[in-house]
Amino acid sequence: MTEVLAKPASTGGQAVRSRKQASRVFQYILLQALIVIVCIFALRQPLPEPPSRYLVTAFTLEDRGTIRPVTLPDFVPTRLSMDDPALYRGGFTYDSTAARDEQRAWSIYLPRFTNGVEIFVNGVEILDSRRDPTANRPDRATPEIALIPASLLRDGANDLAIRLYIWGPVSGFLDRLYVGPDEALRHYYEQRTLLFVTLPMVFAAWQGILAVILIVLWVVRRNEPAYGALAVAMALGAIQAFLPSAMDQPAYPELNATLLASGPLESAFVLAFAILFFGRKWPRYGALIFLPGVLLALVGVFGDVAAIRQFFLIFGLPDVGLNLVLVALIVAWSELRRQDAPSLLLGCAVTIVLTCFAHDILSVLQILPDRRLFFIRLSYSAMLVAIGAGLTWRFAQALNRVDGFAAHLAVQLREAEEKLKLSFAREEERARAAALSRERTRLMRDLHDGLGGQLVSIVALSERGEAGSGVGDAARAALKDLRLVIDSMDDIGGDLMLALGSWRDRATAQLRPHGIALDWRVLSPQGLPVHPELRPWHVIQIVRILDEAMTNAVKHAEARRISVSIETLHDGASPGCGCITVEDDGKGFALAPGGAAAETRHGARGLRNMRSRAARCGAALELVSSGGGTSVRLTLPRRFPDSDAIAG
Amino acid sequence: MTPSNDEIPAQDITILLLEDDPPTLWRLQDALVKAGFDVAAAATLAEARASLAGRVPKVLLTDLQLPDGHGVDLIRETRQRFPDTEIMVISILGDEESVIAAITVGATGYLLKDAFPTDIASTVRDLVAGHSPISASIARFIVRRTQASAEPPPGPPLNTTRLTPREIDILWGIAKGFSYAEIASHLGMSRQTVPGHIKSIYRKLEVHTRGEAVFEALQQGLIKL
Repeated sequence: MTEVLAKPASTGGQAVRSRKQASRVFQYILLQALIVIVCIFALRQPLPEPPSRYLVTAFTLEDRGTIRPVTLPDFVPTRLSMDDPALYRGGFTYDSTAARDEQRAWSIYLPRFTNGVEIFVNGVEILDSRRDPTANRPDRATPEIALIPASLLRDGANDLAIRLYIWGPVSGFLDRLYVGPDEALRHYYEQRTLLFVTLPMVFAAWQGILAVILIVLWVVRRNEPAYGALAVAMALGAIQAFLPSAMDQPAYPELNATLLASGPLESAFVLAFAILFFGRKWPRYGALIFLPGVLLALVGVFGDVAAIRQFFLIFGLPDVGLNLVLVALIVAWSELRRQDAPSLLLGCAVTIVLTCFAHDILSVLQILPDRRLFFIRLSYSAMLVAIGAGLTWRFAQALNRVDGFAAHLAVQLREAEEKLKLSFAREEERARAAALSRERTRLMRDLHDGLGGQLVSIVALSERGEAGSGVGDAARAALKDLRLVIDSMDDIGGDLMLALGSWRDRATAQLRPHGIALDWRVLSPQGLPVHPELRPWHVIQIVRILDEAMTNAVKHAEARRISVSIETLHDGASPGCGCITVEDDGKGFALAPGGAAAETRHGARGLRNMRSRAARCGAALELVSSGGGTSVRLTLPRRFPDSDAIAG
Repeated sequence: MTPSNDEIPAQDITILLLEDDPPTLWRLQDALVKAGFDVAAAATLAEARASLAGRVPKVLLTDLQLPDGHGVDLIRETRQRFPDTEIMVISILGDEESVIAAITVGATGYLLKDAFPTDIASTVRDLVAGHSPISASIARFIVRRTQASAEPPPGPPLNTTRLTPREIDILWGIAKGFSYAEIASHLGMSRQTVPGHIKSIYRKLEVHTRGEAVFEALQQGLIKL
């Protein structure tokens, strides 16, 4: 029955869950598609260019023995030799009158070329880009600008020759170039430098800082190898950005080439980080992801520069792409499963990088008609930002958790302290009770052997003598009191009912010879409330008040019937007060205006005693006496006083 | 306790009274003889044993502290040799030390030494009728031993594991001063069955084998009395 009922509900829950999952997948894919579209839109945005009147596009290309006219931008196939540049010949017109009026220097501005250029104006070399390390990197779209010395310029037509050096791995490229007043061109050059040279350096510096932070993280937390992997990736990135520029180029060409080709290794480490960080189990053949990178490094060390370039183009780039795709998949899976900020950030960043990577590959393969601008390094900064933000997020989360844990610990500590205090108090209480109990046992044995036996003998002797019945009564009263003292020393756990139970036994025995009936009424189901603070001396006082009331009823009031009522009074407060009433049907006694009995000296003393005993226990005593009987009403306090300091 | 019609005539009830204090012995004997019982008196254990050899009494009333030994020994012997004899201990204070000690060796009642003559006679009569007396303080002592406690409380050892929950409820009622009728109505039973339960409680508290460790401890405790 229950299974039949439960099943649709559970499948319903599953359906809801899978629907939710599907919608989450859809949302994530939609977000990534949006990012791709925005990226493509941004990449298609043309960069600002100088006015077209300074544009020089018509050249004659002399390459490998052929001469043909070309219009820039132009691609030249790659080659292995450095000594075989392609030569572009062209010219521009210089209007000296206009230029001199405005005192303007002229420059030649090359927005983009691969891999190196030498520029000659009227046969004199004015620029060799190969001396600029950053310009030598094909992955950075380093622009060049060169001032044309005024002495070189001729009025009218001037010759312009450009030698384009190509050393791979990509084909040679020369974008449209501009010749004109320096102030008209410099601005555009600065813009490009900022975007393609300065920004990548800034990001590389940021990457270096990340590497340091991650290394520290990993050193401190050796059990989290994810940080180690990411630290290696960041360090590789930072090194490949800075080291080749700082080192003497010709001295270590292979090392430089290897560093430039460190992309596969770096991306493999990022992938390893993603696997470890997002909680996937390390795959059995996980080390394989490092294989292309290691091979590339080996080729770099043992092979030559040309080989490494070929190898990078054929294996390195697809490997980088593959790693990026794997990272994207892992991050997407993590985002769908956990929905946390680092996954989402990194997911979006990887999408941006992948889009730019695809763009760059298409550009390298000359499939995409554009100006050979590579954005992968720039877009990689998105990933760096995401990693930094993700790390900070994690750090903040961990701090929160630590705070929460500390708070939790504090609460637990407090609870433990409370418990300890309670158990200590309990232990103390038990020790006290045990000591009392031992003392009582000792006293009981003493009394049993000594005083008790003697009193019994007195009772017996007085009865034999017939005449001294007063002595017998006194001895019997002494025995009764002895029993009361011993009884009240017993631990009754604050339940006064237990003391009253013993008192009932003794009272019944006392009343029987007088032929007086004891009417015992417990009006509340539980009798009296339990008072944990109840001490033996409270019990003695209460029982003696009851004894006194009963003695009065028997000796002075000539009662035939005595009733004892026990109840708990509830006057709104949750723990009610106990109340014991002793009533008799005797002749009563007259009360003086002060409340004391006026009849006899003994009676007066008895009543005063009762009042003083009640006051010492914090109980209220009410006496009502008339010709039809006497009522003694003892209202117990809510809490018994610790000491009888209030004794009056 | 009102005497019922089917009870044994007082003269058919034989009593052996063992008490070393002459005035007390005289007082108790006087009260019992006046009530019509057939009383034999002894002041020492030896005298009591001699009397037991001659005639087996229906009721044995014995003090604990005796010149030539301890009353507990006599109670145990009598309980083993004459199971039909009702045994009652004479206690000065009615305290648990003496009463419980006697109960664990086979007594089923106690008598206060200073009890009034009428009470002495009626207690013996009730005991013969199967009604064991129990005081609130004795009941309290027993029920407190039924409660789990880390360390053994002082006083004579007592094995309460055989008591049923109902018997413990009855003991609680007595300890709190309720009458048999009130206990019976609370627990939904007949008033007449309560005394039987009390006798059963006494029997369950009895230690049967001499070798029991509890018993040895008990003896050691008693020597200090």
